[in-house]
Amino acid sequence: MLNLRNLNLSFHGNKVLEDIDLEVKKGEVVTLIGPSGTGKTSLLRCINLLEKPDSGFISLGGLDYDFSSIDKKETLNLRRKTAMVFQQYNLFKNKTAIENVMDAQMVVQKKSKKEAYEKSMEELKRVGLEAKVDAYPNQLSGGQQQRVSIARALAVEPEVILFDEPTSALDPELVGEVLKSIEEVAKSGMTIILVTHEMSFAQDISDKVVFMDKGQVAESGRPEQIFKESDNARTQQFLNKFYAAAQ
Amino acid sequence: MDLQYMISILPEFLRVIPITMLVVVVSAVFGFLLSVPVAGIRIRKVPVLNLITDLYISFTRSIPILLQLFLFFFGIPVLLQLLGFDVTNISAMTAAIVCLIIYNGAYMSEVIRPAYLAIEKGQHEAAESLGYTRFQKLTKIIIPQMTPIALPGLGNAIIHLIHDSSLVFAIGVVDIMGLATIISSGSFGMQQVEVFLTVAFIYWGISFASEQIIRYLERRKKRVLNRTGYEMKEEAEYNV
Repeated sequence: MLNLRNLNLSFHGNKVLEDIDLEVKKGEVVTLIGPSGTGKTSLLRCINLLEKPDSGFISLGGLDYDFSSIDKKETLNLRRKTAMVFQQYNLFKNKTAIENVMDAQMVVQKKSKKEAYEKSMEELKRVGLEAKVDAYPNQLSGGQQQRVSIARALAVEPEVILFDEPTSALDPELVGEVLKSIEEVAKSGMTIILVTHEMSFAQDISDKVVFMDKGQVAESGRPEQIFKESDNARTQQFLNKFYAAAQ
Repeated sequence: MDLQYMISILPEFLRVIPITMLVVVVSAVFGFLLSVPVAGIRIRKVPVLNLITDLYISFTRSIPILLQLFLFFFGIPVLLQLLGFDVTNISAMTAAIVCLIIYNGAYMSEVIRPAYLAIEKGQHEAAESLGYTRFQKLTKIIIPQMTPIALPGLGNAIIHLIHDSSLVFAIGVVDIMGLATIISSGSFGMQQVEVFLTVAFIYWGISFASEQIIRYLERRKKRVLNRTGYEMKEEAEYNV
């Protein structure tokens, strides 16, 4: 369903991602883990062209593009098949919760206001925020903002939702509610690519875990393979450090 | 102090207020329209054009507005002749308006640019990630958030413009100030204080009225600001 081949990305001559291949099947939850600065977020941002890779190929929901020659129209097409949930939520500050969810449906998908409203209510209910539809982002907690942002992503019915460290900016007591919403989304059959530092959550929710190190895919496999049975030295080192820190 | 004299010359001044207002409104509107692409060029650092707009802003900021008026009044016909148009002179009014448009294009672009830059990158990225075109992103997300930030600065620009417009008499436009010099020389310099005091009151009135309009818009926009969480001082300060 989503296929990346030979993806390369560099910033000012520094290689950030090198020769990445990634396959995601429909309905799969794929989690990217690894040390900070190894390009997990960058990889995610390449999929919707918030970063432009130097080279590589992408196939997504029937689209086939070459990153090295991708144009404006193709970029828009690709973005309209994906949705992203950001670390800092990035809700539109000038719009209420429901307007945030409605806007892209009306502006990008040209739905009527009524259609967009109904769809938005449905998605806001799904994340448990039907009581906050008229609140501005400024009036919501971080966890609530992130759940609105999940509803916003769901509402455009993308092929895949990209979660970029969705709980990293949250106060610890708010992490749970957001993880619950993500789990809900995963159960509904949505295809998900998730960057996270919540290891136990990753282990529970993922169909596939990709361990990245120094801009490359070091190892990938089923969660138990990576978390329990990995014989990759770098994976073990990372996980050991992580568990040591958690204790 | 001859209060009666002041009242007697007031109707004459009221007759030329539209001229001042014309200069102000046209310069403000077209200056604003000019400032948008100028700010755009500087924000996106468009090669070559960026250099030109830098020079342009540096020029308008560094040279006294009075001198700029003279340069435009005498310079435009020369420039037009160089370009092959058969023009020996232009009206003072045209020169004044062109000059103030160009001046305000620069000034206002330096209000718009920081307002644009104040919007977090995440707002752009959120819209982009959902597949908004650049135009959709600007009109639906970015500009509505910029407006309340830019408003106090644009208000200041207009108040300054009202004051600057009083200099156009120097190239022969008979606006409020122009009329004042005519009246005062007509009375052989006898009642100068009364004449200029009347003018002062008129400018005060115009500035006060403009300020009220801007304050009104600002109050409306402050509600937006409160919601968006961008910070703004309680009351913007104007140098009236």
